[in-house]
Amino acid sequence: MRLKKAVKTVFFTEILQGMALTLRSMFSHAVTRQYPKEKRPAMPGFRGMHAFVRDAKTGREKCIACGLCGAVCPSQCIHIYTREDDLEQKKVIDRYEIEALRCVYCGFCVEACPVGAIALTEHYEYSDYSRQALYFDKEKLLDNWDRMMAGKKGEEYFEKFWFPKRDSFRSYDGQAVFRKPKEEAK
Amino acid sequence: MGEAVGEKGFQTKELTVSMGPQHPATHGVLKLVLDLDGETVVKCTPYVGYLHRGVEKLGENRTYFSALPLTDRLDYISSMSNNVGYVNAVETLFGIEAPERAKYIRTICAEMSRISSHIIWVATHALDIGAMTVFLYSFREREWILDLFEMLTGARLTVSYPRIGGVRNDVSQEFLDSLYKFVLEFPGRVDEYETLIDQNRIWLQRTKGIGIISAEEAVNWGLTGATLRGSGVNYDVRKANPYDVYDKVQFDVPLGKAGDVYDRYRCRMEELRQSARIIKQCIEQIPAGPILAPEAHKFVLPPKENVLKSMEALIHHFILITKGPLTAPVGEVYSATEVPKGELGFYIVSDGSGKPYRMRVRAPSFVHASVLPRLSEGHLLADVIANIGTIDIVLGECDR
Ligand code: SF4
Ligand code: SF4
Repeated sequence: MRLKKAVKTVFFTEILQGMALTLRSMFSHAVTRQYPKEKRPAMPGFRGMHAFVRDAKTGREKCIACGLCGAVCPSQCIHIYTREDDLEQKKVIDRYEIEALRCVYCGFCVEACPVGAIALTEHYEYSDYSRQALYFDKEKLLDNWDRMMAGKKGEEYFEKFWFPKRDSFRSYDGQAVFRKPKEEAK
Repeated sequence: MGEAVGEKGFQTKELTVSMGPQHPATHGVLKLVLDLDGETVVKCTPYVGYLHRGVEKLGENRTYFSALPLTDRLDYISSMSNNVGYVNAVETLFGIEAPERAKYIRTICAEMSRISSHIIWVATHALDIGAMTVFLYSFREREWILDLFEMLTGARLTVSYPRIGGVRNDVSQEFLDSLYKFVLEFPGRVDEYETLIDQNRIWLQRTKGIGIISAEEAVNWGLTGATLRGSGVNYDVRKANPYDVYDKVQFDVPLGKAGDVYDRYRCRMEELRQSARIIKQCIEQIPAGPILAPEAHKFVLPPKENVLKSMEALIHHFILITKGPLTAPVGEVYSATEVPKGELGFYIVSDGSGKPYRMRVRAPSFVHASVLPRLSEGHLLADVIANIGTIDIVLGECDR
């Protein structure tokens, strides 16, 4: 025991072991991503910048001006101004504003919306030089939808990431359970 | 100020140094005022509160549902554990229980966040003491685990994933498979960190015999978590008062002996392996089933398919979101969970309205910060850094 310790002290074995690990890593693949040049796509369902759903049928926003998203928002960053439209006989939004700088990207607004009129996109690079650019009004939000979620992607978003679903309250076919990894199964 | 005349007739004076709040080694915005006699710390006074956001008060103005993201921001490097602690407290208050599958998922998530928190801890602790390499290795695994979080919840850090009565969304097969791969590989990665520092003579000199606290004293100071277990006290909320599915999995609670910085380091490294073990068992046992309690429809948002079709569901939906659960019982509850830092408790008083009347957070970091003078006084200035690291504080939680 004491001999072992003496050897260790004289020959710096523990340091050499550490060095060996470093040397080994020198010949393995680099794990670093060169971020601004090399971007990893966000995972599906990522909670990023907001978008307002444009209804394919009417070409307008889907929102029914119920105000639930503003009520649930924990950082209270959604401002909704509504009025009653006499012509259409329904409530419509006058102004709809989201202060993205105060948003915490919890996704509760999506969960609260009864009609699926608001979505969070996979866009995560929201830095800008002015506050104004990150103060979204209705037009900007609709524009976000056209840019990032139009077509199939938007439909899929609500199918997959609009919770809770009926399936959340029961077991269903194809629910994920333990599956042996392939190497072992062979 | 004590003045003394040195051997050669020089006059020496105690020096007061202010360390922090902007100091990279204080893990956030902790401010320490140190009275130094040469290099030795005579007196150490921690000042906290630079990151105070009034989380407890904010909680009183949110419904139980919307208060969840606030807890993400307590201990922001293991937000999932706080979420789990919060929903467990609220569920106990409401007297509802999450389904089995949801409990498994929560346990998996809580252990994942324990791993991610301990990885950061070992990385920064070693970096503070002067071993930079560990930092680079451990961030490789942290990236991996954050990717897994992103896959499951859609966010990397502030996950807001559990819900009162269950969890937000089901786990996918892809997620379970990649997580299983991770837990098989992870213990090997822990070995790598240990190769770098475990026996390293500089590391041993900087950590052994520093910041010793005896078992009795540690209990008296109210320490919890690995900071307490490093002194050899076998107390772990997961064992003492099991929540979720901790009573259905096997794991050991690693204990230290000497109660110094090194033993606490050993405890946490061992906990990393145990966490991987818990996750592995959970994945192997996870049953199929609901992820939100179907019988708790007064507290859980109704399914989206029903909202626009059934009047009941629509009313529930509106009331739950604007007012909170109207059927919340009057009473109070204290519920503790074991988070990476120690025992996180939520004390919630309900007056029957949809919002908590009072929400108090028992933050382990706050208690641990108070023991800093006891650990540091009499040691060298450089050991203060080791002591800040070893009690594992996060100021977001400490100041709340
Ligand atoms: S994501 Fe959360 S914080 Fe942001 S607007 Fe929606 S509800 Fe508010
Ligand atoms: S919850 Fe949906 S429908 Fe209601 S105001 Fe918000 S976006 Fe519009």
